[in-house]
Formats: sequence, structure tokens, C-alpha cells
Amino acid sequence: MENINKELSIIYGDVTLGLKGDDFHYIFSYAKGGLESLKKQGQEWLYRIPMPTFWRATTDNDRGNGFSYASAMWMGADMFLRCISKYVKINGEEIPFPAAPENNKYSNNENAKEVEITFIYETSTVPKTSVSVSYTVLPSGEIKIHMHYKGKDNLPGLPVLGMRFVLMEKADGYKYEGLSGETYPDRMEGGAYGVHQVEGLPVTPYLVPQECGMHMKTRWAEVERNNQSIKFRGKDEFAFSCLPYTSQELENATHMEELPLPRRTVMVIANKVRGVGGIDSWGSKPGKDYEIPGDQDYTLQFSVK
Amino acid sequence: MDKIVWLDDPEIYRVNQIDSHSDHVCYASKEESERGKSTLSQSLNGSWSFLYSVNAKVRPKEFYKADFDSTGFDEIQVPKHIELAGYDRVHYINTMYPWEGSEYRRPPYTLGKDTLEKGMFSEAEYNPVGSYIKKFDLDQGMIGKDISIKFHGVEQAFYVWLNGVFIGYGEDSFTPSEFDLSPEIQEKENILCVEVHKRSTAAFLEDQDFFRFFGIFRDVELVARPKLHVEDLWIQPVLTNLESGRINLRVQTKSKVNKGKICCIIKNQDNHIIHESEEVFSETIQFSEVIVSNPNLWDNTNPYLYWLELLVKTDTEEVVEYIKYPFGFRKIEIHQGVMQLNGKRLVINGVNRHEWSPYNGRVIGEAENRGDIETCKKNHINSVRTSHYPFQIPWYYLCDQNGIYVMAETNMESHGSWQKMDQIEPSYNVPGDIPQWRGAVLDRARTQYYLLRNHTSILFWSLGNESYAGENIRLMHEFYKNADEERLVHYEGNFHNPDYEESISDIKSRMYAKPLEIKEYLDNEPKKPFILCEYMHNMGNSLGGMKAYMELLDRYEMYQGGYIWDFIDQALYVYDEISKKQVLRYGGDFGDRPSDYEFSGNGILFANREEKPAMQEVRYYYGKYK
Repeated sequence: MENINKELSIIYGDVTLGLKGDDFHYIFSYAKGGLESLKKQGQEWLYRIPMPTFWRATTDNDRGNGFSYASAMWMGADMFLRCISKYVKINGEEIPFPAAPENNKYSNNENAKEVEITFIYETSTVPKTSVSVSYTVLPSGEIKIHMHYKGKDNLPGLPVLGMRFVLMEKADGYKYEGLSGETYPDRMEGGAYGVHQVEGLPVTPYLVPQECGMHMKTRWAEVERNNQSIKFRGKDEFAFSCLPYTSQELENATHMEELPLPRRTVMVIANKVRGVGGIDSWGSKPGKDYEIPGDQDYTLQFSVK
Repeated sequence: MDKIVWLDDPEIYRVNQIDSHSDHVCYASKEESERGKSTLSQSLNGSWSFLYSVNAKVRPKEFYKADFDSTGFDEIQVPKHIELAGYDRVHYINTMYPWEGSEYRRPPYTLGKDTLEKGMFSEAEYNPVGSYIKKFDLDQGMIGKDISIKFHGVEQAFYVWLNGVFIGYGEDSFTPSEFDLSPEIQEKENILCVEVHKRSTAAFLEDQDFFRFFGIFRDVELVARPKLHVEDLWIQPVLTNLESGRINLRVQTKSKVNKGKICCIIKNQDNHIIHESEEVFSETIQFSEVIVSNPNLWDNTNPYLYWLELLVKTDTEEVVEYIKYPFGFRKIEIHQGVMQLNGKRLVINGVNRHEWSPYNGRVIGEAENRGDIETCKKNHINSVRTSHYPFQIPWYYLCDQNGIYVMAETNMESHGSWQKMDQIEPSYNVPGDIPQWRGAVLDRARTQYYLLRNHTSILFWSLGNESYAGENIRLMHEFYKNADEERLVHYEGNFHNPDYEESISDIKSRMYAKPLEIKEYLDNEPKKPFILCEYMHNMGNSLGGMKAYMELLDRYEMYQGGYIWDFIDQALYVYDEISKKQVLRYGGDFGDRPSDYEFSGNGILFANREEKPAMQEVRYYYGKYK
């Protein structure tokens, strides 16, 4: 049982907001616009701040049916997102934004039962839209993440919608509860539900590297490195992929051997994944149910611990 | 006349070849058959002398002469693609003809031309030639007998000489070409010369979506005919009804003498003799009909095989030839619009397969064949379309044994002659209606038919792939229908030419039709059962939406499944200097242009035969609907 009287220590920095507990230490950066440090038992997990992601590498079918062209702006949006505002709530109440000099009123002994920090991002698409990401941190160290995408008319369909965590090192492997194998919304009937262990970070060796390694209908996924782990748990079922590459790195390679040396872990937690299609590779789209229209709102909720 | 002009002439496609006949193996005795090595056959595989020339003009024209000095020739392995032995260049291209952008060619006798244009291939600046020389002595068991030579696969046109004498010519790359060597053969120091040309008019008919190779790429063997010899056998196990079968057996012989007898034994799978009879040896032997009551039926789940044994004896009881051949009882028919196998609705959970190895291209062996069968069994794949050419013979025996339903496709695809820039544009389509192209395509049908007709696993003859439709393909259809009452005939290409909707193909076949289009056909008084000869194009990360197709099986009796495109990625291992690794390369990586690049990789297996992730979906649905 968690000690319900326990509180988080809060460090109201000039540029960041630090949150500490027994065996964790998180730093949110106002300047970078996100979670800059996620330390557990002294070990840093994050390489760069987690960001909303709008791009999975295109598949041969995406290229064949013109989706890559129609939705290309999402690749730019995925790479170059801008944080336009942020706010902080302490125990559920929004406080005046605690940057300097506002933060001069605090001490080195600040505590709370719950801290929420929200970042609003604006996409580079035409038209622009916004995505908010709220992190609610609890004394147990659990981070609850609530992401909301605001649909806009005239935005093209998305290949994926979720959050991307780039972890500092290449993980040893991962475990998850969900469907076996690589699955997509239009290719998952054959997946067996259960807890699955994956060694290393396998990249499916398609002739031309492309989107791969997605796992649909997942309850939780745990990334393992040096006998430690971080666990992603969905409020509802989610999809994820855990690869050593970003979608852009995959997109850029024309052969497996052109991919960079694997040195990090790219964990994508997705609310929506576009289907891969399969009728043909020269025009047919995946069925309507397997597309992600850009004009609808989407919400993704999960926790990290 | 200089034989080289045969390359330019669609009417010359086989010269001095022995007629196609059944693919049975002859042994000198039963014991030999049990050991699995026949003394009536001698492999010529291995190291041959070889010279590469860029075109026919600069080839060593007189290399076949007995006194030719072949110093300076290299060595090459047989079988092997010449391109993978380090000559010429590797080239992958899909529908375009391989000379696109380099040569202007139109098939002879198209566009209203009534004369032959000489030199299209024989005088081309680029049309490589492989000159092969093999010296050999006859093995002991072969001496004193009539000898023929069987080339199991030579791409794409070739001339043969033995000891300086011209033997023959062949084109169809994917069926055996057999020539009689008896008049010229010596016990020792035979010099066999084979001149292989990369392209001939056959190229217009062999425009399959694959890597474009040439050379001797399947086995070469000598076959000895004892003084009494079975040249062709035709086993017809016919189901009168599900409780009773009969076996018609006809044998064609080819012998120096015709004095002897032939003993026929039929055994069931448990090795029990169910029939034994003897006939006098003659040119054509029609055995009396054998009735089998309550025969065990052959199908995917229970591929029950009977065995025919033939013992050819002299009048003095000396066994000179022994043959063993498996067969099964099964009935494929269309009943009230629905394809049935043994009285039950047939569901095709199929896959298209190219013969492929990432190391040796289409030069594959037993390991690949057996592994592929295992992959099929494990994933509930019950049918294979031999896309788009006949396979190596052992494949069909494996399918017989494992209950894999074969759609046996004739070696023909003329895609580039009617589809250009994605448009249907048959202005110079071959074979079309053109009389001068008729012989070649009918020959391809005939060769496949006589070679393979004893294989129980073959349920369908397929006329070829994506060659549009015209009178010549209709005649191929007619040939198969007349020759074989026990199988169905399949062709898809008439979809693009509805004039032939009624007269070609027993089955309505489409490729890549969307589920809605299939419903539309089936909801509107369909005349023929429907299959997809290609569907679920599994290029890269694909195979989404299979459910919509599989559910059609529940809704429509006359929807009878399809063949996934396709079985294995076509890609080649290459050593990469930069990563210092063996890596897989595809079209365009060899400097080959124009190319269709990664379009060669559509398998449910990767090129190295590892299963793609999509396989779990295939296994699930094909298992569910088996």
C-alpha cells in the first residue's frame, strides 16, 4: 500500500519544475516544453522530452496509394512541434505560472499530494491545430498522462496518433500484455492475447525499412534495461511500438543496413494507428475503419511508472 | 540457313526435341529404386567450361566443333544463373520488357506486319550469350543403351551440339527439353556444347514479374533407355462415385525391341498389393481397367496415395526397368456452380509461389522445396499456384504426398505487350490471335500437360498469367479441356477482354478485386465459381483487411478463396563493403534500370525464408476456414 500521507517534493526552478519522491526524480522543462528528466533509482531514462507523435514511417502500401503525399505535412509536424503554452496545477488548483520572479515566493521545502503540468503544442500543419499533454504526478511516482488532439477541418488523415518517448539507451527488451506478434488494426485477428516477452528491440526486416513492430490492444508495456524497467499502462487499451529508431530514421532508409547503429529506444504509445492495408500496393487504401481522419478529436490516457 | 535467326522467329521454338512425356523415373531394378539412385540416369551438373559474350556477333561461333580450342574459357557451375556467376548484370523489372529504354522492339507479326524482321535478337548489340562446354564419359550403367539428354531448365533459348554434331534447339525456359543423343554418343570423351542466349522471341512470352536471368539454371541429366523402356505413362484414377474408383493405365514405350512383358502392381498406402496384372510389351499398352471399391480418397487433410509399380521384363524374366509412381483418388468438379473436391465444397487457402533462394535466385533444391511445403502445412495453406511457370519436378511429388492442391501454370506472361503505364493497351499483344505465335504457346501447354498429368495434386491447369486474351489462349484452353476431363482450367487474363469470358476458363478468376467487386459479381447471377488468383498483396508491411475476403466464404458458396501474392520475397544476398555484412538487395540495387525496385518483395516469407509477422494472420484465417 502506498503511504497516503506521503507528498511530493516540489522544486520551483526558474526554468524547470522538479518533482521528487523516495526513489524518483522528474524535471519538467518550461523552456523545452516537456518532461526533460525521468529518473528512477538514480537512473535517467529519457533522452529527449516526450512529444506527441503524428508520423509512423510509411509502408509500401501507403506510398502506393498516395497516402504519403496526401499526409506528408504530418511528418513535418511530427519533427517540428512547438510548445505554445503551459500551466501548472497543485492539488488540483491552477497556480500563477511559477516562473521567475513568481517562484521567488517558494522555499526549498515545498510539497503537494498531486502536481499537474500541462503543455499545449501547436502543429506546423496547414491549418494548424493544437495538442495538449498533461502530466499528473503522484507521490507514488506514477505519472498520469492525458493527451488530447483537437481535430480541424481540412487536415489530412494521420498515420498514427500518440506520444513518443525516446529513451537514453537501447533497452534489453520489453514485456507487454496484449496481442502476440506485429499487429495493426486491420491485421490483428491472428494475434493471441497474453503476456509476451520480447528480447532486444527487433526491427522487422522489410526490404525497405518501414513502419513495423506495432502491438495492438495492449494493457501495459514494460521496457527493460539493466534489470530496471519503466512501465506504461493504458487507461484503455492502447497500441505501442518499441524500436531503436524514430519513424524518420525508418522513413529515410532504403535498406536495413542503412539504419543507424541502434543506440536508443523509441517507445511510441498510440491511441490510433492507421491500418496497413493489403488489397494491393498501388492504390487501395485500408478500409475506412482503419484510417485516422484529421478532423476529429482524440484522447489518449496512460500512465508511466 | 544460319540457325542463329531462330532467335528472331516465334515459329521456331523447339527443334529435334523428344515429345514431352510423363516425369516418372526409371530404375534398372526395384533395388535401385529403394536405394533412390538410378543407374539409368547420369547427372551432368557440376563444373562446365564457359565463355560469356555480350552478343551473338562476338560469340565463339565454332566452339561446338570437336577440334575447338577452349583455352581461355572460364568455369561455371551448372545449374546457376549466369548473372549470379559474375557475368552480365542482375536485373529486376515487373511488367515492362527488360529492354525498355534500351531497345525498340515489337513482337514479330504484330501491328499488321506479315514478314519476319531478322536480327531483332540475333543481331542485337546487347543480347548476351553463354557458351558452355562439358566433357563427359558415360557411367557404367548407361553404356550400350540409347541415351537422351534432359535439360530441366535453360533460360531462354539454347542450341545443343554433341561431338561436333548439331543436336537441337529449345526455348520454353521452365519445362524440360529433351534430345536424343543416341546417334552421336560415345562411351568416353563426349563433348557437349550448349549455347545459351539471353533473349529470343520467347522473351515476349516470358515477361514474368521476376529477376531476369539466363543460363542453365536447373539440372542437366543423361537418361538411358534400356532395350525395353517405358517412355510415358498415364495413370487415370477415376472416381465413379465416392464409393468406387477405377484406374485406367496406359503406357507408351520406346524400345529397340518389342519382345517382353510388363507387370503392373498396385499397392495401397500400407504397402498391400491390391492389384497385379501382366501385359505383353508393345508400343502402346492399355491395361485392363482396375476397379477399386471404397477407395481411400486424397485431399489436403488426408493425402492418401496408392502406388503403381511397373516391372518391365524380357521374355526370360530379366527385369530391365522398374518404375514406381504415386497416385490418389480425388474428384474435382463444378457442381451447381460450386467447385467441389470429393463431393465437398472446395476452399482455396492459397498462395502464389516463385521458386526463389536469396543466394541462388531460382536455382533451388530439396531443402527449399521441403521447407516451403512445411511452411504451407504449418500455416494451413492448402494450395499453391505455380506462378507463373512450371516448377522443378520434385515439387509436384511433394504436393502429392502432402495434399497441397496445385494450380499448375503454363510458362507464359506477356504483360508488357498489353499493359503500359497501367493502361490496357493491347496494340501489339502476343500471343493474341496471331497464327505465327500459336505454335509456341500451344507447345508450352502441351509440354506441361504431358509432363505433369499424373500428379494427383494438380487440380487446375492454368493457361499462364497476365497475357490478355485472344484466339491463341482460347486454343490453349481447348487443348487442356480436350486432353484432360478430370481437371479444371483456369485463366484470369480474359477479364480484360470480355469477348473471351465464356470461352476461356472454367472458373471466374480475378486478381486484387476488392471485396465489394466480388460481391457484385456473386450477387448478379454468377455463371462460374469465383476465385482470386492473386490477392492480399503482401508487399512490405501489408496483409491488412484479410477478414473482408475470408468472410465472403461464409456468405457465398461460389466464392471459393484465393491465392495470396505471394510466398517469398525475391531479394538477393550481397556482401556490403560498408557494413561488412551480407545484406539483402532488390531491384535497382545492381545498377539495373529501369527497375521496379522493392516491388520484388511481396512474400509472406522474407527472402531468407523467415516468416513475416503477417503470417500469424494467414495462419489464423486459413486455419479458421480450412
